[in-house]
Amino acid sequence: MSSTKEGLIGLSDSKKTFSFKGLFKNNYFLYALSLICFFLFWELVAVTFGKFLPRPIEVIDRVVYMFGHTLAGKTLLMHLWASLRRVFIGFAIATAIGIPLGLFMGFNKYVHAVVKPIFDLFKPMPPIAWISLAILWFGIGETSKIFIIVIGAVVPVVINSFNGIRLVDPDLYHVVKMLGGNHRDEIIQVSFPASLPAIFAGLQISLSMAWTTVLAAELVGAREGMGFIIIQGMNLSRVDQIIGGMFVIAITAWMISAVMTYLERWICPWKMQLKK
Amino acid sequence: MADGKSSKQLLKYLPYISVLCFLLTWELIVDLNVVPNSLLATPIQVVKLFFYKLTNIQPDGSILIVHIITSLKEALIGYSLALLIGIPLGLAMGWFTLAEGFARPIFELIRPIPPVAWIPLTIFWFGIGITGKAFIIFLSGMVPAVINSMVGVRMTNPTYIRMARTYGAKDWEIFKNICIPSALPMVFGGLQVALAASWTTLVAAELIAADTGLGFLITMGRRLLMPDMILLGMVLIGLTGVIIGIIVDKIEKRLVAGVRR
Repeated sequence: MSSTKEGLIGLSDSKKTFSFKGLFKNNYFLYALSLICFFLFWELVAVTFGKFLPRPIEVIDRVVYMFGHTLAGKTLLMHLWASLRRVFIGFAIATAIGIPLGLFMGFNKYVHAVVKPIFDLFKPMPPIAWISLAILWFGIGETSKIFIIVIGAVVPVVINSFNGIRLVDPDLYHVVKMLGGNHRDEIIQVSFPASLPAIFAGLQISLSMAWTTVLAAELVGAREGMGFIIIQGMNLSRVDQIIGGMFVIAITAWMISAVMTYLERWICPWKMQLKK
Repeated sequence: MADGKSSKQLLKYLPYISVLCFLLTWELIVDLNVVPNSLLATPIQVVKLFFYKLTNIQPDGSILIVHIITSLKEALIGYSLALLIGIPLGLAMGWFTLAEGFARPIFELIRPIPPVAWIPLTIFWFGIGITGKAFIIFLSGMVPAVINSMVGVRMTNPTYIRMARTYGAKDWEIFKNICIPSALPMVFGGLQVALAASWTTLVAAELIAADTGLGFLITMGRRLLMPDMILLGMVLIGLTGVIIGIIVDKIEKRLVAGVRR
């Protein structure tokens, strides 16, 4: 990226000697400057409007405090685990339902004709909109949260599995046929490996979707979890707790996507070749 | 051959049959008390409530059209703000080192926070009114708008840029005449993504704190134990989302006609 960018923007003539202007063309210097300005600005605003925004240091203090002390009987890590457990259970169920369903839709046009319209009926509703119905059905406990996580996470899995099968290059099937393979060979040797990158991309989307959905579910009603921490912060007028919780949530989201990217490289390395 | 023809016929009607069966099953499991009516309303009840709510403010305080307009207004303000700020910012970040270097770290700091997580903070800052909702939607729509605009500019064919440079074009001229037009399809691709993100977040925000709006309708349905009202809210949210999506798609096709494909 950086090499093409240099060609793009024409930075190749950047000066070797130090100059003030050259400094402003250096990305890393700008990044550092920007972050410093951001936190200074935050600090300044916080000092002026003390009640509505805590200083950055207060947020860090609060996060550290929550690591060591319990809030509603649980430390920060236990709350984080409560949210993550819901995500993992919901995600596992969504995968177990979504991948086979998507694959069947891709392989069989009758299954596709039956399932697709019903699926299209549900797709435009944001998963969060299910929450009231879920609470009415299952109460405020774990089941209702896992239910809407499944609803939110299953959609990308199904769509990507279906498209993964459908968009397999037909030449690959022809090759298998020409080499004397039967229908089973087609499916095992071609369909699965060729659609795996798409399926995996669906899993990635679905996991980040699950993380968003669990937060929303916990905001509406929960006694533990990261959503609970920030809504509790709102109810107690503790902005440092809200912002601290948001940062923990952001770091978790970032880590989830980093792990998934790593797994993708490990499970389907041929995707990288396809991209080129 | 006849067999092939009949299977084609079957495939053509199967989607309709499937939806009909679905609705029928839904109606029947409630009517036959497989699922009690207090947990699930029949499609007919939902339609009845729809017509009832068109003119009656009971039991949640506003007629249907007010809820829809409130939600739409919140979505529209936040969404247009996100586009107005996000697209120019993203385009600039794609081309100018200064803009990229300055905005990127802050943007990367904010990006991984799911928009939903902003809800408590915005309620605390702005209350439950339209300002807070517009702010959340602005945040959730801004991220895809910026990313797509930036990537769009970055993906400009370098040959064009080199050619322009050879002919002596200034940096600004290249940006204006080459990068922006070539980024447009990508920018418009971002519109749909931003829209979907905004609509989801709006529903979440209205569920947690609101006094009108479609999300509020759902919450009221739960509080009053009226499954038909919950379902009506859900259906309307889905329907409105689809309609806005179609409108954005139409605008997009009109504006970038000839650029894409």
